[in-house]
Amino acid sequence: MDLDANRKLIAAALGRIPAGDRTALQTVYRLTSAKLFGVALRILGTQAEAEDVLQEVYLTVWRKAADFDPHRASPMTWLIAIARNRAIDRLRATRQNRHMEPIDQAVEIADSAIPADSALEAAQDYAKLHGCLHSLETRERNALRGAFFDGNTYEDLATRMKVPLGTMKSWVRRAMIKLKRCLEQ
Amino acid sequence: MSDTSDHNSKFEGLPDDELLAAEYALGVLAGTDRAAAERLFERDHNFARMVGEWEQRLTPWARNIEEVSPPPHIWSAIETALPAPAPQRASLWESLMFWRGLALAGALTAACLGGLVYFGAIGGHEPLVATIEGGGNRVFVATVDAKRGSIAVVPASFSADTTRVPELWLIPADGKPRPLGLLRSDRAVTITIPSEYVAQTVSNAVLAVSLEPPGGSTTGAPTGPVIGTGKLTSL
Repeated sequence: MDLDANRKLIAAALGRIPAGDRTALQTVYRLTSAKLFGVALRILGTQAEAEDVLQEVYLTVWRKAADFDPHRASPMTWLIAIARNRAIDRLRATRQNRHMEPIDQAVEIADSAIPADSALEAAQDYAKLHGCLHSLETRERNALRGAFFDGNTYEDLATRMKVPLGTMKSWVRRAMIKLKRCLEQ
Repeated sequence: MSDTSDHNSKFEGLPDDELLAAEYALGVLAGTDRAAAERLFERDHNFARMVGEWEQRLTPWARNIEEVSPPPHIWSAIETALPAPAPQRASLWESLMFWRGLALAGALTAACLGGLVYFGAIGGHEPLVATIEGGGNRVFVATVDAKRGSIAVVPASFSADTTRVPELWLIPADGKPRPLGLLRSDRAVTITIPSEYVAQTVSNAVLAVSLEPPGGSTTGAPTGPVIGTGKLTSL
């Protein structure tokens, strides 16, 4: 589907939710649930938990749709952030992260293949982020990846990469600062 | 480690709050740090804006996450859990006309039916029922047991809100809501009608359900949105 048309459809449907339009929520669900379920599943690692979280996500969307500002955020960014946060909340509450296998600081972890037709951000946003991520050191990129995709905390990351907690915080913060500078160029 | 420092305002020139916004958006925080960031996100517009900007920077990465179709029962579960649509529930309690209208209707009913109304009260033997509906959905069903002076209320399409509880109100002919008690989303509840309201629990009196803080309204009147109303009628 045309990404821009898709984005407009989702944004328009989000805009109708605060008036209590259930079919608008259903439209958002139809267009976005596969992505958000993928996000929850990636972070939580189990089908049952991801299903619970997906329900929470759309109930949150129902309650908070009025907070979505189409001039400040793309609808998918807003929705994915909700899905990631609900999944991370669930992960923190259960205190068991399934993604704890050691990470070698120097070995690049391959990103999974990019689906050809994903209703996500414009390709150039991805290309730019990808370029900036690859301007970081491998260990920094691996740490960010563990946080973003596996829902790892600073402590999890320190354990997985076998460095002191303070060192890990330092890496991640420096990486975020470098990333911001690179993306602003 | 000499090259590490915890949160301090001079960390490579990025202000503390922006650093926290970045960490929150990345999802790397836990415990009290994450809770603190969440509170800021809810209350501080500037912080929320910074989190939004970081989400905008990082989220394109999620393009690498594969789409997985959720099982079909998830949508039904979401739909069932939705509260009644917003416009109706927001406007009802707030609309003076609504209450005036109810009061007028109640008064007319009382005037027309006279003693007949009283027949439907606790002294009568016909059970009274009310289907409490809001936004086109049946949210609760209530049955008055006249002999016992109680109301049994069964949840229909109502699902719990994490922060508020459903409270049942009796609105007799004068249009003023009286608290009857708290309801449950997961099971039927039987409420003993307070003795002072028994005489008003009659045919054509209205039952309403509002969402209230845990423990119920402390003001004696509904404070939250109404999610449904229904008139008591004889079976």
